[in-house]
Amino acid sequence: MAESAPRPVAFRGGGFQPSPRRWAPWLAFAAILGLWQAASAAGMLPSLFMPSPVEIGRALGSLAASGDLGRHLGASLYRIGLGWTLGAAAGLAVGLAMGLWSMARAVGIPVVSALFPIPKIALLPLFILWFGIGEPSKVATIALGTFFPTVVSAFGAVDNVPRNLIRMAQSFGLPVAEIVRKVVLPGALPGVLSGFRISASIALILVVAAEMIGAEFGVGAYILLTGNLMQIDRLLAGVVVLSLLGLAIGAILGRVEAWLLRWR
Amino acid sequence: MLRIAVVAALLVSGAALAQTKTSIALLPLTSSAPVFVGVDRGHFKAEGLEVELKFMQSAAAVPTAIASGDADFGVTGLTGGFYNLAGKGAVRIVASQAREETGFRFNAFIVSNKAYAEGLTRVDQFKGRSIGLTTIGSTFHYVFGRLAEKQGWQLEQGQLRALQTVPAMLAAVKGGQVDVIQAPPPTGIAIDKAGEGKLIGWVADHVPWQLGALFTAPKTIAERRPLVERFVRAYQKAAAEYDANFQKGAPGKDADALLEIIAKHTKSIPEAVKAGLPYIDPMARLRVQDIYDQIAWNKANKLVDAAVDAKTVVDLSFVAGHLDLPR
Repeated sequence: MAESAPRPVAFRGGGFQPSPRRWAPWLAFAAILGLWQAASAAGMLPSLFMPSPVEIGRALGSLAASGDLGRHLGASLYRIGLGWTLGAAAGLAVGLAMGLWSMARAVGIPVVSALFPIPKIALLPLFILWFGIGEPSKVATIALGTFFPTVVSAFGAVDNVPRNLIRMAQSFGLPVAEIVRKVVLPGALPGVLSGFRISASIALILVVAAEMIGAEFGVGAYILLTGNLMQIDRLLAGVVVLSLLGLAIGAILGRVEAWLLRWR
Repeated sequence: MLRIAVVAALLVSGAALAQTKTSIALLPLTSSAPVFVGVDRGHFKAEGLEVELKFMQSAAAVPTAIASGDADFGVTGLTGGFYNLAGKGAVRIVASQAREETGFRFNAFIVSNKAYAEGLTRVDQFKGRSIGLTTIGSTFHYVFGRLAEKQGWQLEQGQLRALQTVPAMLAAVKGGQVDVIQAPPPTGIAIDKAGEGKLIGWVADHVPWQLGALFTAPKTIAERRPLVERFVRAYQKAAAEYDANFQKGAPGKDADALLEIIAKHTKSIPEAVKAGLPYIDPMARLRVQDIYDQIAWNKANKLVDAAVDAKTVVDLSFVAGHLDLPR
């Protein structure tokens, strides 16, 4: 048997590592807007059905100039902020309880499965009866809509904490409260935070539904109003505001995530 | 044998060719009655038209269906959204639909029991009260706006509650979350009878106006004018039959048959339909000045773009003898 000579092997590690490409999203946005504007200018998109980016920008500009943009944003941010905080806080508490205690889990899973799929929008008339047509019904719509996804993500995050880490803490003789504080909660944090991203987006979707009921101001109310009045350029300007709000909330959550998970 | 089959096939296809297919977008409401009467009593067929009814979910969807080419004609109430579409050249009015006409009863003002107990018992007391609407720019909004103008008070943005749908609006007045709404008949009478609210007046007695219209796309008028002419003629015959049976004091001899037809299409019962019939002009004539006034009011309230020109919104050439022509 001949001794096989050592064979040099190329380094196969690396990759699968997201690295920032700051210019890419801007370029993609610019390309989409450019193509859209060109299609409008060439008359391929009738302005009745699909106004050009310039027209939408003009509508957004006049909305900002009138001072109404601030009022709409303020009203919506208040509803989203309060509704999401209530829904996410309650959802986090219930989800963690379900992850930690067998009893809470045994009761919680079927209850959540039964209530999660109820369409909150279909319950709006009921919310009018329960909470009236003022702010409470709007906040409740958003809170209820964000509660269930938060429960599911928090419960799943606790469930996914590696068992061997918990066993190790136990073998070192840590008390239960310490294990929860030092192992389970930090281990569940990434899952909880990605759940927050989803529930924040859901809050933005639901703000339009929440503002269907007697809202004078609000981005959702503005979108509904301009849709009813067939002012498509303004309708899309409202949608742009909602998208920008989504981007801003995503960026803030990204920062929070980076700070809270700096130990990774 | 073969020859007979061929002849029969030719005859069938010939009959099909004679009938022009067309479609109309509308809501299943009594205000669309002339269309239902026209279809079921054969007025459209007599003009060689086979009309498909396309029922929409909301008034806003009706002109949109014309703009998108999903239907040739539409009938519904006139809203800010309608005039914006008309101003962009997507739809044009050719004849009238329902009208709030003095002496006839259609929509009613309904106040909540709570507001009534507080002393809101007359139609001239709505200043500062919370008003339930479907949407800003709806027919309901317009009536309250004109009422305020007539009575010399200001309709404030803050007193309007847009609730999107008629059921939500009815729920809000029953629950006392808004002080006043306009109820479409016969819901208004039903609410009053059930003690869920109080009917304190009729819209027609305070704000007579051209509530709805029959319209089509300017493109259809330009390219298929004979189709529009035939459609309007059949629609006028149906309106005349409606008028003869319901608007001449005593019910006409076919009143029951027409009630059955309207009830079938509105998914209601004849008695309920009878309590909620709107005034329909017997010749489908428009009150043209009123259309101009509506556009002016919508522009003044920034609901309709300033560029919308009333002259391009209406085509007066299909119906003879329109009323109140602007000078």
